[in-house]
Amino acid sequence: MPEVYTSNKDKNIKQELTPSGEVRHHLPGHTHNPLGAYCFRPDNVTFETQDQGEKIVLFLRQHPIVNLPWIALTILLFFAPAILINFPLLSFLPANFQFIAHLIWYLLVAAYAVESALAWFFNVYIVTDERVVDVDFINLLHREITEAKIDNIQDTHHAVGGVLRTIFNFGDVIIQTAGTAQNIEFEAVPNPASVSRVVQELRLEEEQEKIEGRVR
Amino acid sequence: MILDIINIWFIVKLLFLFALAIYLIFASVVVRQVYLMTETVKVGFEFPVRIIAWVYLFGAISVFLIALFTL
Repeated sequence: MPEVYTSNKDKNIKQELTPSGEVRHHLPGHTHNPLGAYCFRPDNVTFETQDQGEKIVLFLRQHPIVNLPWIALTILLFFAPAILINFPLLSFLPANFQFIAHLIWYLLVAAYAVESALAWFFNVYIVTDERVVDVDFINLLHREITEAKIDNIQDTHHAVGGVLRTIFNFGDVIIQTAGTAQNIEFEAVPNPASVSRVVQELRLEEEQEKIEGRVR
Repeated sequence: MILDIINIWFIVKLLFLFALAIYLIFASVVVRQVYLMTETVKVGFEFPVRIIAWVYLFGAISVFLIALFTL
């Protein structure tokens, strides 16, 4: 049976969300920076449970500005022994023990910095054309991966509050899922309005596919 | 003779080495976790992250050895 009517709006959404070839390199939000916090249609990103043919639409991390507190604290802790040189807290120890105590201090600072950096780097949110995935690197001994199918999403909303979040345009995106499935929260992601819009459009597209019987 | 060896600084040395041994385990966990996470999500930056984890582990090993020989 010939196709009588196809929605132009639907075609536009599909083209916008899953562009092919060179087109996507010119899209706003597309970047090749592996440390980027917002990437629309990334080129080199894959994840463990990705299905064949599943396309990543958005790859997100927390806004880089959230790293500022731990970087500032690391710098402060790094220079603390030099700052506290007039307060000889370790003077009761022999010189060689003092030296090792200083090295242990720097190891502890390094542990704090490495864990904070890894937590930011590996805490990622992925939106594909089939589902949303939240990879939480809670600490070195605990990681959690939550995912929800696009057709299980009921609603999305975003919240931007506070001076820094307003200036740098980042905030939380809350994705409500159907039934007992856990809600997914993208914390402190850049352009939350745009993220929310993309998820909504994917949801609408998935509904359209369901109606038309094109569900994978 | 034993009392000469077992003085307060010998005990402190053992405590330092014990703390550093615990730290070595922690650094090994970092390397292991980095490998697991880079397998979970690949973003094209796996090699530098793994190098950082290995440098971190070798730093911890170096401090352990320095403590072993200087204390």
